[in-house]
Amino acid sequence: MNPLRPEPDGLTYLEQAARQEPVAQPVSAPTKEFKYVGQKVRRVDGHLVVTGKAPYTHDIKLEGMAWGKILRSPYPAAEITALDLTPALSRRGVLAAVKLTTGRVRYIGEPIAAVAAVDEATAEEAIQSIKVEYKVLPFVVSPEKAMEENAPQVLDSPNVQKLFEYTRGNIKEGEAQAEVIIERTYQTSIEVHHPAETHASIAQWKNGRLIIWDSTQAIFSVRDQIARSLNIPASQVRVIKKYMGGGFGSKLGLNDHTVAAALLAKEAGRPVKIVLSRRENAYCVGNRPSSRITIRGGAKRDGTLTFLHMKNYTGGGVGRGDRCSEPLIDIYRCPHVLVEEYSVFTNTCASRPTRAPGHVQGTFALEGFLEELAAELKMDPLELRRKNYSDKNLGDTGIPYSSKGLLECYRLGAEAIGWNRRNPVPGQAKGKIKRGIGMATQIWWGAGVPGTVADLKVYPDGSIEAICGTQDLGGGTRTYIAAIIADVLGLEPQDITVRIGDTDYPWAPSSGGSQTTPSVGPAFLDAALKAAKELKAIASKKLNCPAENVEIRNRRFIDKSKPENSLSFSDVARELRRVTVFHGERAGLPPGFAYNSFGAHFAEVEVDTETGRVKVLKVVAAHEVGRVVNRQTAESQVVGGMTQGLSASLFEERVMDEAEGRCVNTNLHDYKIATFLDIPEIITLFVDSIDPRINNLGSKGLGEPPRIPVAAAIANAVFNALGVHPAIIPMTPERILRLLRPKEEKP
Amino acid sequence: MIHFELAQPQNLQELTTFLTKTNGSSTPLAGGTDLMSLVKDGIIRPEVVVDLSTVPELRGIRKDQVGVRIGALTTIKELASDPIIEKTFPGLRQAALSIGSPQLRNVGTVGGNLCQRPRCWYFRDPLFTCRKKGGSRCFAARGRNKYHAIFGGGICHIVHPSDLAPALISLEAKVKIVSPVGEKEMPLENFFTLPSVSVRQENILQPGEILTEVILPPPSPRKKSIYLKFTERGSWDFAVVSVAVSGVVEGQRITKPRVILGGVAPIPWRLPGFESKIEGHQLKETAVAAAALEALSEARPLEENRYKVDLAGVWLTRAVLSLLS
Repeated sequence: MNPLRPEPDGLTYLEQAARQEPVAQPVSAPTKEFKYVGQKVRRVDGHLVVTGKAPYTHDIKLEGMAWGKILRSPYPAAEITALDLTPALSRRGVLAAVKLTTGRVRYIGEPIAAVAAVDEATAEEAIQSIKVEYKVLPFVVSPEKAMEENAPQVLDSPNVQKLFEYTRGNIKEGEAQAEVIIERTYQTSIEVHHPAETHASIAQWKNGRLIIWDSTQAIFSVRDQIARSLNIPASQVRVIKKYMGGGFGSKLGLNDHTVAAALLAKEAGRPVKIVLSRRENAYCVGNRPSSRITIRGGAKRDGTLTFLHMKNYTGGGVGRGDRCSEPLIDIYRCPHVLVEEYSVFTNTCASRPTRAPGHVQGTFALEGFLEELAAELKMDPLELRRKNYSDKNLGDTGIPYSSKGLLECYRLGAEAIGWNRRNPVPGQAKGKIKRGIGMATQIWWGAGVPGTVADLKVYPDGSIEAICGTQDLGGGTRTYIAAIIADVLGLEPQDITVRIGDTDYPWAPSSGGSQTTPSVGPAFLDAALKAAKELKAIASKKLNCPAENVEIRNRRFIDKSKPENSLSFSDVARELRRVTVFHGERAGLPPGFAYNSFGAHFAEVEVDTETGRVKVLKVVAAHEVGRVVNRQTAESQVVGGMTQGLSASLFEERVMDEAEGRCVNTNLHDYKIATFLDIPEIITLFVDSIDPRINNLGSKGLGEPPRIPVAAAIANAVFNALGVHPAIIPMTPERILRLLRPKEEKP
Repeated sequence: MIHFELAQPQNLQELTTFLTKTNGSSTPLAGGTDLMSLVKDGIIRPEVVVDLSTVPELRGIRKDQVGVRIGALTTIKELASDPIIEKTFPGLRQAALSIGSPQLRNVGTVGGNLCQRPRCWYFRDPLFTCRKKGGSRCFAARGRNKYHAIFGGGICHIVHPSDLAPALISLEAKVKIVSPVGEKEMPLENFFTLPSVSVRQENILQPGEILTEVILPPPSPRKKSIYLKFTERGSWDFAVVSVAVSGVVEGQRITKPRVILGGVAPIPWRLPGFESKIEGHQLKETAVAAAALEALSEARPLEENRYKVDLAGVWLTRAVLSLLS
C-alpha cells in the first residue's frame, strides 16, 4: 500500500480508510469464493459524494474559463431567413459567437447560435441581442393531430412512417384456435429527462488537442462523435467524466451544446463551459416517446396463448420514437405473432433512449393485456403467465435462454406481497377506498459487451490501481471494481485506487442498456486473476511451496499447508521490481443462447374512488440478474428504478399547449416527480443464481430491469381494485375519476 | 444571471417610504421562495429588491387583548410550531404543515404565502404573454387547464395558491396594512381581488403599502377548525382543491360555520350558501353531500378541470364530517 499517495479526489488511502466503517456487513453468503462480491459493500466514494467533494461536471472550473449560452428557436417550426451575430460580438465581454444552424428549425429549443462571454450574465444578454429573422411555419405537436390527413408535415417525409414489423406463424391461424379473444389499447405519455444534474460540458483546446469534461454516460461515443462532427482525429480528443448527477439515456452520446462549447472554445481561445438550465433541459435533451399500443390477442380456455397482434404509434417528436414490441415478441410462448409499429413525427425535440426504451411502454401494454385476458378467462393472472412460460426466446420459437430465473421471481414475489390477498375477481373490493394487488413481468438484455478492457496496475510497494474508461452514473461502479479486485487479491476494497471516466483509459462501452457491470466487472476479474496468478507464482518461490498451495487473504500470501509460512502483499509485489500492468478483457458471449435478465414486480395499491387518487402501498421487486455483485448498490438500483417507475405511473407527463406548440410544464413543480412521501414500502428480492456462460462473474446488468414493470404492476393493481383498467399513464386523479364516471357522462 | 440592487430598510417607516419612492421598480423580499423563481424565470424584473428581514416590526407571534398577532415575516415553520396556534387554531396549523416541503417551510413566510403570485403555468412561462402579464388573452381558457379555476375565472383563470389564506379566512383573520400615510386593518377576506377587478394583481395592495401583520380573533375553546388539502403528490404540491372549515361544534351541529375553498378560484372562495345550509342542523353525510352538490352547481369548469368540481364536493363533505367527529 502507499498510504501517503493522494487520490485524485484529494484524500489519501489512509484518510479514506479512517473515515470508513468496516466495509462488509454480514449477510448470508451467496457464493463461497468471494468475501465481498455478493455482499453489501459500502461505496468507496460515498463519503466524497455526500460531503460535496466529488467533482461533478457542474463543479469544474478551469483557469480563464468563459461561459457559453445557446440561442434556441422560440418557434416549433420556422425558416431562418436572416441570422446576424454582429450585435452579440460587439458587446463588451463577448469572446466568441458561432452559428449552429441556418436553415429550418423544427422544434422549440432547437439550437441556432451560441455565444461565449466572460460570465454567464453577459453571455445570456448577448444571445438575446443576436438578430434572427424567422419565417414562421405551420406546426403540429400532438401525435394524434400529426396523423390527420391535412396535418403540417414535420420532416421532409410523411408524418407517419413504418418503424418496425415482425411476424411469426400466422395470426389468422391463431385466431381460429382461440376460444377467447380481446382487444385493448394502452397509452403512455411523454416522460421528460430530468436528471438532478442538468446537461453540461466544458471544452478546452490544449496543444491542438480537444479536452471535454462532459456530464455523459458515454465518454467514448462523445469522443468519436465530436471528432467526426468537427472533422478532427479521434486521437486528438479526450473526454472526461468523473462523477454524474444522473443519466437515464439523454446523456448517451454527443449533444448539441457540447459541439457548441468546442466551437466557442476554439474561437475564443479559452475553455468554455455550457450548463443547460432546467428549462433548456425540459425542452431540448429528449424524452421517453409516447406510445399508443393496441393488442388484439387470444387464448384457449385453459389460458394457452394462440396469437398476439400488436400495433403501436410512437410519438418521438422529430425522432423516430421507440420500438415497443420486444417484450411481446419474446417473453411468452405464443406461436402466432404480428407486430406493426409506426413513428409519428411532431414539432417537438427528438426522443432519446430513456431507461429501458420501448420496454417500459411495451410492458405496460403487454402486461395490462394479460391481466385483462386473465380476468376474461377467470384465471389467476399469475397462473396465466406461468401457463405460457417459455425457456426459449421469441416466444419459445428461438434459442434457449442461458439462464432464466423468472419462475423463482414469481414465487418469491407472490409470497412477499401476499398474492392470495388480492381480489379474486377484479373490482370486488368493497368501500369507497378500494385496495388491489397486481403484478407484471420484466425482460431485458444487459449481457455486457465483449471486448471491454481494463488495466490493473500493481506497484512494487503493493499498491493497486484499477483503470478503465468506463463511467459511473452513480450506480457504484468504483465500488464493485474495488470489491472484485480486493476479493481476488486478498485485499480490502479501499486498498484499490480506481480510475475511471477518461477516454485515455482502456475502452469500455457506454453506460446504457444495463451493460456497465457485466462488461467492466468481468474485465477486472480477468485482470485480477492474471495478477493473482503471477503474484502467487512469485510467492510460491519465496515461500518455497507449490503455487497451488498459495492463498491470498488479509493482505498476505499464505502457504495453505503451513499457515505460519506467509508473506505480506507488498513483500511479494516488490519482487515485480516495476509497475506491472495486467490487462483484463471481457470475453465473448458463447453463441447459441439468449442472454436476458428477468424479474417481476408486485404492487399493492389503494384507490380513493371519490377523488381518483392512487396510493401505492407496497411494491415487491423480485429480480434475476445472475450473480448480484454488490447487494448494497443493487438494492439501491432497484429502489431507484422502482421510484422512477412509480413517478411515471402516477405523475410524470409533458403537457403541451397544442395551439401554441409549447410545453407548459418545464419547471420541476409543474412537471411532477414523485417525492419522498409518495414512496411505498419496497421489498427488494434477488434470485441468487450464476449464469453459467454470460461472463466470468455470471452477472447480468441491473440498470434498466427495475424500471420496466413498475407502471404495469401498479396499473394492474388498480385494475384489481376497480375492475376497470386505467390503460394510460400517468394515472392522475383526473383520469381515474373519468374512468369511474358512469359511461353516459363521459365527455 | 440576474442583476438587481438590494435595499435593506431598518424600520417600517423607512420601508414604506422606500417602497413608495421606488414605486413600480422595487419588490419586497420575504422568504424569497416565490420571488426568486419569478425573477429567475423572467416573469418580473425588479430593479431593486427590498429585503424585509432587516425590519424588526415584522417578526413574531404574540397574544394580546385583540387576539393573536402574527408578524408577516413569521416563517411557516414558526407558525406551525407555535403552541397557541397548535392548541387553538388546528386548521391553520394543518394548512401550514401542508405547504411545500420542510425546506420551503423553513424560509417561506406568512406574509409571503398570502402575497405569492399564482402558479398558473402560462403565467409562469416567459414565452406566454398572458393578460396577467399585460397581454391580451388568457391562454388557459382554451388551453391546458386541468389545474385552473372552476369559480370566478372570466378574464383570467388562475387559482389562488395560498394554503394559509382559506384557513385564516375561515378563522375570521384580519390583516394590517401599513403605508407612509398610516395603517389600516381589514378582514383578510377583503384583501384578495378577482381578475375582473385587477387582472395584474391578486390583492388590494397599493404602491407603498405592505402587509405587516395577520390578526386572529381571541382563541375560543368552543371553536373547531380543519384544513383538508387535495394534492396529486405527497409533498411539495399546491392544492388542486382545499377546504377550510371552522365553527362552533356541538354534537352533530355546527353553528357559525365558515367554509372556504382553496385552489378553485382566483381568490379564496367562500361558500355562504353552503354555510347557511349546514348551519344548526343535525348533520348526516347525505345532507352535507347534497349541500355541497348544490353549492358547486354554480361552478363553471373548463374543458379539463371538471374533475375539480367532483373533488371539491367530496372534500367539502369530508372536511365537515371530520370536523364533527
